[in-house]
Amino acid sequence: MPRIKRPFNEVTRAVSAELASRLAEELRGDREFGQPMIDEQEFPSGRLRVNVIWDDWDRMSLEDRTSLILRAYEMAESRAYRERIALANGLTVPEAIAAGMLPYHVFPALRQGDSVTAEQCRKAMIEEGASILLGEERPVLRFATEEQAEAARTRLALRLPASEPVWVVTQDVGRVEELVGV
Amino acid sequence: MPRRLLDRCQPDSIHEFRLAARRRYDDALTLAFSGRRTASIYLLGYAAEMTLKAAYFYLVGLSEKLPITWSGHLLPAINRGRSLGIIWPNSGAGHNVRAWAELLIQVRASSQVNSYSAAFGREVQRQGQRIEQHWRETLRYHKNHAYEYELTQVRDSVEWYLVHSEDL
Repeated sequence: MPRIKRPFNEVTRAVSAELASRLAEELRGDREFGQPMIDEQEFPSGRLRVNVIWDDWDRMSLEDRTSLILRAYEMAESRAYRERIALANGLTVPEAIAAGMLPYHVFPALRQGDSVTAEQCRKAMIEEGASILLGEERPVLRFATEEQAEAARTRLALRLPASEPVWVVTQDVGRVEELVGV
Repeated sequence: MPRRLLDRCQPDSIHEFRLAARRRYDDALTLAFSGRRTASIYLLGYAAEMTLKAAYFYLVGLSEKLPITWSGHLLPAINRGRSLGIIWPNSGAGHNVRAWAELLIQVRASSQVNSYSAAFGREVQRQGQRIEQHWRETLRYHKNHAYEYELTQVRDSVEWYLVHSEDL
């Protein structure tokens, strides 16, 4: 009777080289705004948790997103740095919003007589990194912290002169059950 | 008169989860052998869930037979995960295999001594992600028939957790 012995090999998933290169480039570039938003948290053990919020993950499995993040870190940093990553998650902006990771919302509150148009605001938001996965006509610009949202508002006002009074920052509130601790 | 099944059940505990995970895995194999793939996946998901929960509560020091309750243990664990930044949706929170896997990785990574090796941690996460792709506890409400590859993927992942249950 045949006796088959198989080692367990860590599966290396084929990831999109183009996306991995783009993410690696973002890691090297350290841009101030736009997607992807990369959040690294370091634990006392030296291990890292990495969340990459990026609409380009759309339609990609969680496994592939994780593999791609690890590959990009290896390209941008080193294999040793990649080995420090304990958890890597990729989320689209709508997924991150649903998970409560982006509670601060920046949007234009236009009134008659404002010196900028809705179309100019829409374009400026997209340049700033707004998600258009929910529709190109209504970009969604979200952030994890109030500081990030305020910084975006400042940049939007610079990008679109005379638009400063138009931009509003709001914060999602949790569900009542969460607030009262039920 | 013999006691009814529900009266014979022990409270949830690490010990009970581990034994039940193995039983549900065996049940799932029996279903798979008779072509009942969706039902097989349905039970396999619970085998993974119980294995991960047992591992977490063992890691945080619960004794093997201490009753595990929703308000005393499960909800605080979920809230801990959320406070650590784990994506843990409200719907079916207690059953989220990927989130339980990530909780284990993250709690271990927070400690100087208990961290998984990078490769092992990646596998723990990967298996959870794979199960999440195919399994929800709500599968029971649906009439769909699973593909063979879906069953294979879930079964492989659950087997990985069972094989490594002592190391999780």
